[in-house]
Amino acid sequence: MSYNPGYGGPPPQQGYGQPPGYGGPPPGQLEMGHGPYPSIGPGGGVNPQVQQWFRAVDKDQSGFITANELRAALINAQGQSFSETACNLMIGMFDKDRSGHINVEEFEKLYTYVNQWLTVFKTYDTDQSGNIEENELADALTKMGFRFTPDFVNFLMKRCTSGKVSVDSFIVLCVQIQRFTEAFRTRDTQQNGTVTIGFEDFLTVALSCSI
Amino acid sequence: MSFQSPMPSREFLWDVFRRVDKDRSGYISADELQQALSNGTWNPFNPETVRLMIGMFDKQNRGVINFEDFGALWKYVTDWQNCFRSFDRDNSGNIDKMELKNALTAFGYRLSDEVVNIMVQKFDRFGRGTILFDDFIQCCVTLYTLTSAFRQFDTDQDGVITIHYEQFLKMVFGLKCLP
Repeated sequence: MSYNPGYGGPPPQQGYGQPPGYGGPPPGQLEMGHGPYPSIGPGGGVNPQVQQWFRAVDKDQSGFITANELRAALINAQGQSFSETACNLMIGMFDKDRSGHINVEEFEKLYTYVNQWLTVFKTYDTDQSGNIEENELADALTKMGFRFTPDFVNFLMKRCTSGKVSVDSFIVLCVQIQRFTEAFRTRDTQQNGTVTIGFEDFLTVALSCSI
Repeated sequence: MSFQSPMPSREFLWDVFRRVDKDRSGYISADELQQALSNGTWNPFNPETVRLMIGMFDKQNRGVINFEDFGALWKYVTDWQNCFRSFDRDNSGNIDKMELKNALTAFGYRLSDEVVNIMVQKFDRFGRGTILFDDFIQCCVTLYTLTSAFRQFDTDQDGVITIHYEQFLKMVFGLKCLP
């Protein structure tokens, strides 16, 4: 392996995160039961409480929730609405027919997903400040199975304009890392933490995986 | 190809600046700039493009533009407008896939239809298959940023690079700030 000397700090040995721990807890790796809802089984219908939430968030009573409606409903620990980016990301994840909005069944999945992230966030926010600071972020990423240099964690912190990571930024950050890592991994055929990539493929990854 | 416009007079700029600076703070904030700019529809100007532009011309790194920086910003927007209009051949106010491909070719890019398709999908904020003025700026600036990052590693200029995981992440992560 030849590493670019002087670049960043020690290069990632054997790449990025061990496969088993990779990708972080959400979704699906956390046990349900944190919230007051039963598991979503086939034909089980939507939990009445989720339906109630849905109606409250669906301000124009259209039967669908848009990113803007979601944004008006979700507040982070700083009392601010979730970012537009975070809401677009989450609507995009559950909006299977790409209509730009989600129905009540899709909302139930999103609701579960957000709650899982909230739980994850709280476990990493060890000082319970409502934000994740740099040391907490380093710890969180390590526990999710990533092995980043302190230099890179610092780079990530600097991407966050406020200097700390609120829960909505944390969701965006983690999903973004997951997507890029997945794209990298499929191209890292030698599994040595490097890829050889052409310009168009690089553009494709950068554009289609970014949020 | 040049889209350069002449720098307007200081009086003209001052007049525009005062109208954009709604709260009379002496600085133009991102919100004020967003309200002043139009993409030719009733939809608000792309906030990401506003952020890109403030970041580019805000010399003091305070997230606002003072009058001294304003001239360069004004010229930048005007040059982009000229550029956009010249590629919007059918004067529709938006750029379709063919027009985007022509524009990028004129900028010196040789990109496949697949990549151009991805770009339209990515920067088309309203799902119409076309790109508005503000999204066009974001599209071109993003492409430029990615190309520059790639070129730094492509020392032998063969269009292929070999990079480490963190290097890769830094290149693709540089596109957008998180709130």
